[in-house]
Amino acid sequence: MLLAKIALGFFGTVALAGAYTFHEGLMRVDEDHHDGRHVHVWVPAAIVPMALHVIPSRHFDHAVAQAGPWLPTLHALTKELKKYGEAELVEVEDGSHHVRIRTHQGKLLIDVSEPGEDVHVSCPLATIEDVASQLEARIPAA
Amino acid sequence: MSSATARLLEKTVVTFAASFLTTAMFFPRAASAQDAPKAGSSQVSTVSSHDRWLHVRVTNPSKSEETVRVNVPLELAEKVLPTINKDRLHSGRVRFDDIDCHGVDLRALVDAVRSSKDGEFVTVQNKDSDVRVAKRNGTLYVHVFEKNHPRKSEVEVKVPMKVVDALFSGDKDELDLVAGLHALSSQGDTELVSVKDEENTVRIWLDSKNITD
Repeated sequence: MLLAKIALGFFGTVALAGAYTFHEGLMRVDEDHHDGRHVHVWVPAAIVPMALHVIPSRHFDHAVAQAGPWLPTLHALTKELKKYGEAELVEVEDGSHHVRIRTHQGKLLIDVSEPGEDVHVSCPLATIEDVASQLEARIPAA
Repeated sequence: MSSATARLLEKTVVTFAASFLTTAMFFPRAASAQDAPKAGSSQVSTVSSHDRWLHVRVTNPSKSEETVRVNVPLELAEKVLPTINKDRLHSGRVRFDDIDCHGVDLRALVDAVRSSKDGEFVTVQNKDSDVRVAKRNGTLYVHVFEKNHPRKSEVEVKVPMKVVDALFSGDKDELDLVAGLHALSSQGDTELVSVKDEENTVRIWLDSKNITD
């Protein structure tokens, strides 16, 4: 009976932790080379803002200085894009090159196809907004 | 209460609490996913009437595979533009004092056009180009037809006077882009710019659809 309770507690915790980890969805980068090489990076989106809390701020100084002027724009852009669940924003076709940027179910999707290589990026807008907010908070006051 | 009943009750409470927590975490996402149109339906979906979209389309008629499509919600542009501070663009306003206007006082010109009755203001016809500027029913029309140089091209611009007024509503020597976009959002479906030359066709228009066509 004790074992059953421990198992129930363990699996309940695992289920809840899993549910929380994936509740914001996945951040995906898929790179498919036509020569057979494939790179797939799938990260639970909820981990990214959490990771920013743990990484020492000195590692961000340069990035924040570089991206600083554009962070309010990124923040406003993602906040607004969240209102448009399904939108085709940009599509460029040029022969065998194809770029497509759109939103789908609260995610920003970027698809690039060119001869020999396809790249697909998918990132929840909420994650981008979180990251932009956190980086904005690290900008030193003027 | 027997011990068996107590254990059953305990298990029921634990199961209920676990189910509730899991549902609470997943339900908002499931609900928002249901609210959003399905992926395939985005090709035909339209948005509510207050959503206005600015579309840009560049095509090359001779090469059908060369196309650029850009769709921007006006509300998004209104919110994002003020956050950009780069070069002449600040807080949604662009300064044109250092842009070469060939000595033309743009503000005085706009004032003159605004106070004038409907009609054709400028008509220039020479061997290289035809230019017409006119105002009709509260809309400013500019039509430029280049006959030869550098290549044959036709430009048509149609701007509601309310938008022109909003653009010039800021301080002297600056265009208030955000006010212009806001004024544009109250307009009906309209074609704003059309450029056609031997190679490319450019269209900029406004409607309530979140796709081009």
